[in-house]
Amino acid sequence: MWLDEADGFAEIFKGYLPYYLLVALPIFIIMSPVNPVAASHEFSVYRMQQYDLHTVPHGCRSASFNLEGRSLSSWSTSRHCVVAHIQDITIEQFMEVRSKAGALLLVLPKNDTVLTPEEKEHIQLLEMAMTQQEINAPVYFAKWSPEFEDIIKDLQHGFITDDKSGTALEAMFNTVSSNGYQIVVSASTPQKMESKPVTIHGKLVGRSGAAQTIVIAAHYDSAGLVPELSQGADSNASGAVALLELARIFSRLYSTAAVRGGPSLVFVLTSVGHSLNYFATKKWLEEQLDSTDATILTDVSFVMCLDSLSSPQLTMHVSKPPRAGGAANSLRSRLKVPIVHKKINLADELLAWHHERFSIRRMTAFTLSSLQSHKDPARSTILDTPSETSLKNLASHIAVTARALASHIYNLTDEENDEDPAIYDDALAVEEASIKHWYEYLSSQPRAPQIVTTSSPNAGVTAALERALSRYMDTTVSTHAIDKREPEYTLYSPVRALLYVYSVKPAVFDLILTLAIIAYLTVVYFAIQLFPRFYEEYAKLVTGKAKVH
Amino acid sequence: MTLYHFGNCLALIYAPYHMAYKFSGISEYATFSKCLYAGGLYIFTQLCKMLLLATFFPDSDSGQITGEYDVFMEILKATVDFADLLGLYFALNSVPGKGHAKILTSAIGWASAEVVVTRSVLLWVGARGSEFDWRYVRSCAESNVALLQHAATAALVWLWTRSDLPRKHTPVVITLLALSPYRMLLEDAVASILSLSAWSLLALRALHASAIGLTALAMYAILAQQLGI
Repeated sequence: MWLDEADGFAEIFKGYLPYYLLVALPIFIIMSPVNPVAASHEFSVYRMQQYDLHTVPHGCRSASFNLEGRSLSSWSTSRHCVVAHIQDITIEQFMEVRSKAGALLLVLPKNDTVLTPEEKEHIQLLEMAMTQQEINAPVYFAKWSPEFEDIIKDLQHGFITDDKSGTALEAMFNTVSSNGYQIVVSASTPQKMESKPVTIHGKLVGRSGAAQTIVIAAHYDSAGLVPELSQGADSNASGAVALLELARIFSRLYSTAAVRGGPSLVFVLTSVGHSLNYFATKKWLEEQLDSTDATILTDVSFVMCLDSLSSPQLTMHVSKPPRAGGAANSLRSRLKVPIVHKKINLADELLAWHHERFSIRRMTAFTLSSLQSHKDPARSTILDTPSETSLKNLASHIAVTARALASHIYNLTDEENDEDPAIYDDALAVEEASIKHWYEYLSSQPRAPQIVTTSSPNAGVTAALERALSRYMDTTVSTHAIDKREPEYTLYSPVRALLYVYSVKPAVFDLILTLAIIAYLTVVYFAIQLFPRFYEEYAKLVTGKAKVH
Repeated sequence: MTLYHFGNCLALIYAPYHMAYKFSGISEYATFSKCLYAGGLYIFTQLCKMLLLATFFPDSDSGQITGEYDVFMEILKATVDFADLLGLYFALNSVPGKGHAKILTSAIGWASAEVVVTRSVLLWVGARGSEFDWRYVRSCAESNVALLQHAATAALVWLWTRSDLPRKHTPVVITLLALSPYRMLLEDAVASILSLSAWSLLALRALHASAIGLTALAMYAILAQQLGI
């Protein structure tokens, strides 16, 4: 009997089954599309920034990966992609991930309000740690979504880890019951982006042509770990908004000959800020000072840079203490702000403040900022998002600055006893609606250099700012070129990609499934073999008589 | 997931059909062409059903989009499945030989055609992708139950055609036959009332199919004894 059954099994394989399948399957495989099924999860993810500054590499150096997803506690090799909430990963863990893991996927918090101040500080410190050195593994950031929450939960509670399971049976059960995730990002390899930083400047001409010039400058890009997610509300949407508002106020004053001030005002908006060493300002200064016919920067009284103006306390940052009796000192006494003095250190990789670019060219320059130190991590964080209190601070700082600047320009020595403060207020009133509008617009746009300087100057944020400034004065947009052979900086694409998450089972699972199927088929085989005998018994039972053949 | 997984699913579908064909003894009648014929009849019947559905239930898809579940409409649609019984009847008629050979040949041909038409594309597209889902394994197991179900239905149809069927069995056969187009509806209804999981629904189907199969087998056994075969 056993021999017969063995024969029956062999017959399955001896019959026509294998032969036509051998022909048909390869044909099907060739004919079928490469990726026949879409993943159940598809997400937009944003790559960590990648750039070279003076050929020193920064940020994440690769873009695509196809790895198994693991949680912070269960990953072990470079074949794993670590998936975690950004607030959960510590700096030590990140260091380990950087040196060993295959990829890193960080999910941002649902919104800022769920974060405690400690968590915010932690994220800012983490960002600083991440920008310090280059990372060879791809690093991506994703916005929060319920699906990601489920995936992270699954990964944390999944027991796929090789060392956790006790007995072989337990391990087998785990492989069947647990979910694995294969995480795939197929992006092109990082490529250099063509970056064309621009500077927008305009001039309000003063009463006498020969009088001094006051320069007001701000950069409008944002610096953040993730280009697509760096909104930069404080640094430096606030500075750009303040500059636009000052331009509006003084263009009104300067439009009538009777109240036009003495010095000319030059407004400068640059598209590359502290993250890339104020490159656009440097180039613009070279253009303006070194060419013979440019007259815009003759006899500069002082340069006022605006940077991060939406925290409560204004500070004046200088690289040289202002001369007593000088113009800068006169403005400072009118602003009544403390001075922070920091010498320029050319050995540093980055300049501390915007005004240092001007100070290097021997101009009196200072930066007005509500940050106390240039090392404040708030200057380059993805948590730099707009808020109502910031907007209020910004409006009051603009009002204070406008007042001080007007009082300096018109040389009003004692504004406190001004005879008619109403006129004064009216002329220098800050238009809150316009500030709010610009603040919200700028901080809703990702304005990292990777985005602002690579798009055409006739589109996006640059074009909007140019149009806004040109309502008040004649503006010029100058585009700067990066040195081809020794680039001051290089930016790399892609900044965003699509991430696919496939739920998968470990390879062992298929083997176990095969065993189960074989067991099932064996049962079916014996059921069919035993069916005649069963039928006999069954018929006897039904008819009540022995079946006669 | 992988080609290997696809192979697993294929084995789960194919092997029971193959074994049923090989070891039930009908292969000795050289009835492979008859199986093919039954399969052809299946496809033809489905085309006719589609024609009927498209003519009389034109907006059946819009209801699904809005999420409404019209019980009466579903029952009417299931009624069209009586055409299946007619098709099986023709398939039984075209197969020569003894009763059990007739029943098994047409059932296997019919069920194989159904598997090829309804499950092969789903499997090819789904089980070979990198995404894993239990659904594909389940669908393969379901096709095994379908074989049992079709065999039971074919047996009932054959019993119904016999004029020498014992009189007391006739109402049972006719009731079971009349209910057979609605069996999916009934199973789904029970599943939704008891809120069963997909695997329990599969078990319910298997139970239901074997219950009907055993009933049909009992009547067949009695008839066979009368005839002395």
